[in-house]
Amino acid sequence: MNTSLSIALAFSALSLFASAPRAQEPAARPTVRVDERYADYRPVQGVSGSIKSVGSDTLNNLMTLWGEGFKIQYPNVRIEVEGKGSSTAPPALIEGTSTFGPMSRKMKAKEEDDFEKKYGYKPTAIPTSVDMLAVYVHKDNPLASLTLVQVDAIFSKSRKAGQVNDVRTWGDVGLSGEWADKPISLYGRNSASGTYGFFKEHALLNGDFKDSVKEQPGSSAVVQGVASDRYGIGYSGIGYKTADVRAVPLALAGKLPVDAEIDHAYDGTYPLWRFLYVYVNHKPGSQMDPLRREFIAYLLSKQGQLDVIKDGYFPLPYPVAKKTLESIGSNVSTREAATSR
Amino acid sequence: MSTATAPSPQAPRSGADASPPRSGAGVRRSGARRATSLFAHGEPLVWLTAGSLVLALAMIAGLLALVVAQGAASFWPQPVVRVELDGGRVLMGEVTASEDYRPEPSVLDALSPEARVRAREALDTSAGSARRRMLRIGNYELTNEHFAWFSDFQQVPGSESLPEWALVIERRTWGRFYGLPKAWRVDGKVETTDPAEIHERLERERELAEERHERILVLERDEIGELNALQERARLAVRKAELEHGARSPQRAAAEAELALVIASSEARFGELQQQIRELRDVNRSRELVLVTADGIEQALEIGNIVRAYPANRIGSVEALGVYLSRWGEFLADEPRESNSEGGVLPAIFGTVVMTLLMSIAVVPFGVLAALYLREYARSGPVISIVRIAVNNLAGVPSIVFGVFGLGFFCYIVGAGIDDLLFAERLPNPTFGKGGLLWSSLTLALLTLPVVIVATEEALAAVPGSMREGSYACGATKWQTIQRIVLPRAMPGIMTGMILAIARGAGEVAPLMLVGAVKLAPELPIDGNFPFLHPERSFMHLGFHIYDLGFQSQNSEAAKPMVYTTTLLLIGLIVALNLAAIFVRARLRRRFLAGAI
Repeated sequence: MNTSLSIALAFSALSLFASAPRAQEPAARPTVRVDERYADYRPVQGVSGSIKSVGSDTLNNLMTLWGEGFKIQYPNVRIEVEGKGSSTAPPALIEGTSTFGPMSRKMKAKEEDDFEKKYGYKPTAIPTSVDMLAVYVHKDNPLASLTLVQVDAIFSKSRKAGQVNDVRTWGDVGLSGEWADKPISLYGRNSASGTYGFFKEHALLNGDFKDSVKEQPGSSAVVQGVASDRYGIGYSGIGYKTADVRAVPLALAGKLPVDAEIDHAYDGTYPLWRFLYVYVNHKPGSQMDPLRREFIAYLLSKQGQLDVIKDGYFPLPYPVAKKTLESIGSNVSTREAATSR
Repeated sequence: MSTATAPSPQAPRSGADASPPRSGAGVRRSGARRATSLFAHGEPLVWLTAGSLVLALAMIAGLLALVVAQGAASFWPQPVVRVELDGGRVLMGEVTASEDYRPEPSVLDALSPEARVRAREALDTSAGSARRRMLRIGNYELTNEHFAWFSDFQQVPGSESLPEWALVIERRTWGRFYGLPKAWRVDGKVETTDPAEIHERLERERELAEERHERILVLERDEIGELNALQERARLAVRKAELEHGARSPQRAAAEAELALVIASSEARFGELQQQIRELRDVNRSRELVLVTADGIEQALEIGNIVRAYPANRIGSVEALGVYLSRWGEFLADEPRESNSEGGVLPAIFGTVVMTLLMSIAVVPFGVLAALYLREYARSGPVISIVRIAVNNLAGVPSIVFGVFGLGFFCYIVGAGIDDLLFAERLPNPTFGKGGLLWSSLTLALLTLPVVIVATEEALAAVPGSMREGSYACGATKWQTIQRIVLPRAMPGIMTGMILAIARGAGEVAPLMLVGAVKLAPELPIDGNFPFLHPERSFMHLGFHIYDLGFQSQNSEAAKPMVYTTTLLLIGLIVALNLAAIFVRARLRRRFLAGAI
């Protein structure tokens, strides 16, 4: 009895070492914090009016949080948020029916041209936060990691990343036991979504999705689909992660797999990360009206970036924020001087 | 005669009403035919019909039971459990789900050696299946997680406990917090460290803080809102003068002077109000509750940020009922917070009701007039048949098509036209040229029009010819007959059409997403500012709220119970609207019956 126990202990200690690089549940996960250099937002005089935002549904909650926070600073501002997909942002900006167009991808050349045709200049993109697209599997799925090539072969029928064989079952990506012959069940977004476009461009290299991808009406619906489907896999923003799913570490060709943690987005080792933008109709070089200028300043303040964390995304690197603020004529240093009274 | 053929006028009498009333006798004769076969007896058909009814009822009851069970239970406070996990992590929170599963070998590999042995033994005795539970652990700013799963074999044996003073704290921002009370601080000075005293102070101060919060809301919404409206109006007057009289006209200069005056006077008042708000906020900020989380991290929460706090493991069922009811109260009467995943749904309730009422006001007169012409005046022929077929087909057009039509026609054509004519000074910001309450109501009115027309036509057809003939015989004209005899008699049937229209319209979401329902509407469509009803404003809708919570919410686990409660509420609301209409119909019928005697 005693010997068998010690053998078991020795064996398990061995296997512990064997599995050490795959930390399952790190006890102290690094929590995300806002860069110290972000200043507190201080309200200024003369801001009123109404803001209407039409665009991305990835940014829907975030816009709402920003709206709620901005209203605390300026109780007299009205804010309306509508989010049905990034593709709805450019037409609304062009038609003038919205003040801000949140988008989870950059505008396409065609969309920019349409805008320029009407106004004579290009719309201004304000990077507001960083998102990482995670590939989610069910929490019971033992999959250790995936390479981007495998991800492409799982989701795409064109397999432009170069894998020869199609991936249909979990066995095809290396799982054994009961998983080996289980077909992979695919979840994704509908084509109006910027998440769809970004994933298609960066993971599928503009290949086509398989017809078997179950297109969901929202980012959270993808996660819920995977959560309730033991053999499911899906892609969605990291902000929508729940306890029922697990984000699979991803690897570039020939590199080690990388967790979907923020540091890996900042240093560029995680392959699927992106800025989340808010587009605005601003003539370069001109003075922006106070309402929009202050809203952008709020997004890029400490409070605005705290909202980003609250919604599960990651704050914008401070130098990017500083540059953006300067480009819209809201000089950071003069702002601080002007608002400290 | 009429009572014999139509015992219940409100039931759309299928088949029989298409034929003239006199044919009742003929029907009875054919029913009395001698029958010997089983089918003629009708026994199997009775079973078939009763079976279908039971099936339909079972489906409805099942759906309702699911929604009620999930929706009604989700606000009940649960005990707070604390567990220590293998590997040193400590979790504390409410158990929200529990399931049995077969752990993968890799899960065991991640455990420490002793825990692995224990886990193996436990799994052997239970044939490889283990229980795991999901805890709502909150404290999102510290953990970046709202929920966490843990399996029984992961916990340190005997570590599960129900800490006596564990507080559940619902906050205005950042979701829930779970912790043990450590101290009560005022202006950074610790006043007490005794849990019972802290709790007592918390209760008392929270009420005061709530009052201050309400005061802030009033200041912001009413006082500042009014100043704002003043400024906005003055600004629009300048723009209008510029458009009408030119940029250099004296009228514009006058308006500009007026604007400067308004701004100057309101800025001073504005500063005062902001100062008041800041003072109230500072007081709310100065009182802090210091808590220790399960992992031993200290965190101070300002009282102004706390919506509700209770020691979950100490309260009895009476206090639990209090928490439960207060959560319902908040849900029904408060505005949403944290991008709709918390707080209440008052704006959505309001939007749904106002939209449905406006829709009924638009669709009923319109539908009744159309049906009157079709049934009473139009000469039956191929044209009328085509019109009738078209109306019936309209009922089968997918609702999203109506939405697209509403967006294209109402918002972009009619709305933009109104903007050009009446609100030119507000352009390029559209007033009517975008989705709004009015356009939503009209779109749904179109959607439900066939229901009203068909129901009204049936009701008109059910008025016995003898009554009309009696009216004509007394020398009444056609319109007098319709007005005095036919319409009152058909009123209950028309009301049935309206009830069906309300039921259809209140539950419809797809077209609304295009013509005016939004995730977050800043203001209610009815408020204290002139002209009180603002049909151009976007609004929130319960149906859209359900969609938004269900598919878009970031914290989808926490939003799930809200989906059920909102569904429960929407069903309840439709039932209430229908009951109101049924009540009106019953009164009308009684009046008609009393008048007939």
